[in-house]
Amino acid sequence: MAKSSEESPSRRTFMMVVIGLISTVIGIALAVPILGAVLNPLFRKRDIVWTKLGKISDLNLKPLNPTFVPVYFRVKEGWSVNTLPRQVVVVKQVNGDLLFFSNQCTHLGCPLHWIASRQKFLCPCHGGMFNATGQVVGGPPPRPLYQWVHKFGSDKDTVYIQNKFKDNPKDRGI
Amino acid sequence: MFKQIQNWFDERIGLTKVIEEFNGERIPRRGGWAYTFGSLLAFLFTVQVVTGIFLLFYYVPYFPIARNATYFLKHHVVFGNILLGIHLWGAFTMIFFILIHMARVYFSGAYKKPREMQWVAGMVLFSVVVILGLTGYMLVGNENSWWTINVLTNVASHTPFIGGFIREIAKGGTETSVLTMQHIFAVHVWLLPIVVIMFIPIHLFLIRKTGHQGMALEYKNSKISEDDEKRWLKPDGTVPFFPDQFYKDMIVSLVVFAIIYILAVYVGAPIGPMYRPLALHFAPEADWYFLANEELLKYFPGHGLIIFSTFLIPSIGFGILFLIPFIDRTKERSPFKRPAATVLGILFLLLLVYLTLIGGEPKAPATV
Repeated sequence: MAKSSEESPSRRTFMMVVIGLISTVIGIALAVPILGAVLNPLFRKRDIVWTKLGKISDLNLKPLNPTFVPVYFRVKEGWSVNTLPRQVVVVKQVNGDLLFFSNQCTHLGCPLHWIASRQKFLCPCHGGMFNATGQVVGGPPPRPLYQWVHKFGSDKDTVYIQNKFKDNPKDRGI
Repeated sequence: MFKQIQNWFDERIGLTKVIEEFNGERIPRRGGWAYTFGSLLAFLFTVQVVTGIFLLFYYVPYFPIARNATYFLKHHVVFGNILLGIHLWGAFTMIFFILIHMARVYFSGAYKKPREMQWVAGMVLFSVVVILGLTGYMLVGNENSWWTINVLTNVASHTPFIGGFIREIAKGGTETSVLTMQHIFAVHVWLLPIVVIMFIPIHLFLIRKTGHQGMALEYKNSKISEDDEKRWLKPDGTVPFFPDQFYKDMIVSLVVFAIIYILAVYVGAPIGPMYRPLALHFAPEADWYFLANEELLKYFPGHGLIIFSTFLIPSIGFGILFLIPFIDRTKERSPFKRPAATVLGILFLLLLVYLTLIGGEPKAPATV
């Protein structure tokens, strides 16, 4: 019969090592699939699509007068394909160039309001302010408005938008 | 008959003795009403678990449907409005009384040696309950839920180095999607309640282990000098937990439960409109317990400073709260004999109330 731990100190050490090893093995074996489930989003590729926004000539843009145009992205998210309705803020600059902003505040992502009387975008959450060209003019936002990745069609009038921001190093969601 | 059943159990496991031991714990006498908050919180948590389980009979954690499921529960299920109302107002009440409980413990110096770990266990419970509140707010699936998810995950993304990963893991991807709701649901319904269920016994065990120590007023007639640690082991008078303290606990629980019930029936749980991602004039609002932090986010402009409001101040604040027993290691317990701690505590509470009040004011843009 094997000695009990009380009779032999080395036997006690052996038992403790075995207990520790068994716990470690079971722990690691469980942790691997759990970590896989938790960290899965980091390994997934984002579904990027081009979506038609519409014709610029239909918008009757006036300089520095933002127009909110909805865009509907059909993207795969997890196990389902969903429609993500988003606002594209189209701004015609004085020189005629077009800017395609997101209406999400660059501070923490609240939906911006365009206040025509003040010629500013205001954030209802923490008081961020942007001017019509997307520059921060007050409040906590750390950077100018996000711009959608966009391209013009062959007719130089139809605009396509990607569900992605330009210059978005931290990969903030749209 | 009852006696026979009791005997049957006693012969085998000595049940009566176990119960007597648990119920017979001596509790300091004078501050009886001030010691009811802990039991009250245990009671409120039980109510949350019970109502929460039955809310699950109807709830669906899927973004466009979640809000309608909640709406159905409130308007079409018999007494569903009461069930939902109790869960909501119970949560608010719980967070409120945790703050009261913490303030009571802080001002009476009850976190001092040998009770340091009890404070730490309590802080774990506090943090988890606040996150439970926030995730619950997200699960309603209305407009505020959507923006709360976005804002809070963006706040988390300002954590140094790993912020972006935290946001992506929490959301289950870069967008707020079906997976986001599923994750929040799992966290709110399984993960965090289990942490609470584990830490409540630890919290209770530690109280029982460190013995009956009360507030300074329990030792008014004590002959042992104030520097002696033994002084805090002998209150002037004690009563058994059952029924003396339990009786007070029950009265407080009943009063609070009655308030929750009245609020549930007559105010109910506001559900709000369905999430409209294209709405142009929606101003998201946070729950009342988050308003102080929300207000903090308005200061600290620009790239370099944003980390102060999103990460540094909240985490340092929480860190200090966690470590209070290790920072303040003096033996003095009476709030009047340690003015620095008392004044700091009062100032902190006033700051919290002030930030909450101005954080709750209507925000400028919507009214311009």
